[in-house]
Amino acid sequence: MASTSISKAEKSYIQAGLLANPPRRADGRSLRDFRPISLETGVAPLSNGSARVNIGRNPHDGSGGTEIIATVKLEVGNAVDDDGLSCTVVCSPSAYPHLSSGALDDLQHDLTTVLHSTLSHPSLRPKNLEIIPGKKLWSLNLDLLVMADAGNIYDALFIAARVALWDTKVPRTRSVEYKNPKTLSLASENMDVDRDTSSGFDTRKVSNAVDFELPDYWDEGQVLDGRERWPIAITLNLAPSVHFVDATLQEEASCASRILAAYSYETPTEPTIQCLRMFGSGELNVLGVKALIKASLLLGRIPSVLNILGRRQKSTQLR
Amino acid sequence: MSSAQGLVRNQDRRRINGPEESFPPVFTEQPPQSPISRQGRTTSDVRPIFLQPGLISQANGSAYIETERTKIACSVYGPRQSKNTAYNEKGRLNVEVKFAPFSCERRKAPMRDAEDRSIAMAIQQALASSVQLELFPKSTIDIFLVIIEADGHEGCVASGSIAASAALADAGIDMFGLVISCSAAIIGLEIWIDPTQEESDSANGSLVLACMPALGSVTSVWQSGKLTPSQVIACIETCESRCTDIHSIVAQALRENTKGET
Repeated sequence: MASTSISKAEKSYIQAGLLANPPRRADGRSLRDFRPISLETGVAPLSNGSARVNIGRNPHDGSGGTEIIATVKLEVGNAVDDDGLSCTVVCSPSAYPHLSSGALDDLQHDLTTVLHSTLSHPSLRPKNLEIIPGKKLWSLNLDLLVMADAGNIYDALFIAARVALWDTKVPRTRSVEYKNPKTLSLASENMDVDRDTSSGFDTRKVSNAVDFELPDYWDEGQVLDGRERWPIAITLNLAPSVHFVDATLQEEASCASRILAAYSYETPTEPTIQCLRMFGSGELNVLGVKALIKASLLLGRIPSVLNILGRRQKSTQLR
Repeated sequence: MSSAQGLVRNQDRRRINGPEESFPPVFTEQPPQSPISRQGRTTSDVRPIFLQPGLISQANGSAYIETERTKIACSVYGPRQSKNTAYNEKGRLNVEVKFAPFSCERRKAPMRDAEDRSIAMAIQQALASSVQLELFPKSTIDIFLVIIEADGHEGCVASGSIAASAALADAGIDMFGLVISCSAAIIGLEIWIDPTQEESDSANGSLVLACMPALGSVTSVWQSGKLTPSQVIACIETCESRCTDIHSIVAQALRENTKGET
């Protein structure tokens, strides 16, 4: 995102630092280091699942960093015209004070497109959102609010989305169906009534469910099915000959292009790519793209983010 | 509950009573995985491409592309003065995509739609590094695409990028090379190049690659759906080799067009 403009001198200073041996970044990190990531779940009590993610908060005064609040809200939807999951990214104007309202709209639309198209793909859809097959479902609305942007917005958004979806509880439902009451047929004993005889040809199993009820309290429920599938994204920023992760705003503005890959770890050993995008106008050849895909796969950081999320999950179960 | 009881009581038992309401049959079993077959092409064939540069006379440059049921008209205006934007020492590439209301199976309301912008974003990304924008400070190049008929999201992005690049060449705007784009989908375990709507609906995932074959550089990778890293790499390689073939078609069309003018 060219949301900050920096001078040419600043740009070349940052690039020279990245290309130096050993590489030097303004905050002393190596090219493979993330800033500290902090996660918090259950931040929005009225939602079905929520999370707050901060990347790069200043440990001394708790300020700064990229901050995102993600919430999941479930609503009963119509299965005919609803595909189950929708994602929206809203950028707070205070996160981008230099952008006009039109540019802000475009930015949040671009962020929404990437997230929605990745997370609403059928291969990731949870199976327990169905209430009455073919009639009613839980339609899942994932809203992400960007409170502050200090760089690496895509990674932060994907982490926030994953943690919020991980935290989500789907209320259990019991379907209700109507049956002819037995007492009526007893009353008309002497009339010529067709008895309900079961035919051998009738092998259908028709669900007559017309409505449902909620046996749970509002904060109980089961977790989303397949929640270990939700992807984690990693953005590789490309300085001419090196790539680095977790760029700050200045570093983002100083490099021409970046490549975003979202990995899903359904099985820990065999990740699948759910989204791959190139941004910016850098020069790359096919060999370079292949090397970058392999490099981002090897980055040990993704499993460690997953570990953080796993530990987080254990502590939330105590809640 | 009371209405159900009432119905039983009021039923005329001497007649055959039809059901109150009826529904079309819904089959719980999915149809077998690969019922679709490619009509008359192998997995590595692209649909035949028709490209006509210079169709819109009032634009600085234009191109019309047709790949079977994907039809896109593209016009390029500019470089012209940027309005309402801050000073920028590089030029700006502005891509706008519009679907005709009749272009898809469902009517597209003639309003700014989510899909328009995501396609515009993908095409902008594909073209951004091919245009020598540093030659046009303070100016904007407007690229307008009208999708007259769409057959697959991926096809629109790929054909749109080719048309836009040809239109830029037709407008005489300085570029490093022609951008060629090609899409691929993984169906079962096979790679199908240039999928149609029906094919990409039944795919595990799809990928659109944009590159400049003359320079051997990749300008955009755009993947969605579930693919393993090795499948992604295989798709990129196959798409790149197809792009080289498409490049000669586009170059040929441009050459014929300039011959006709002189």
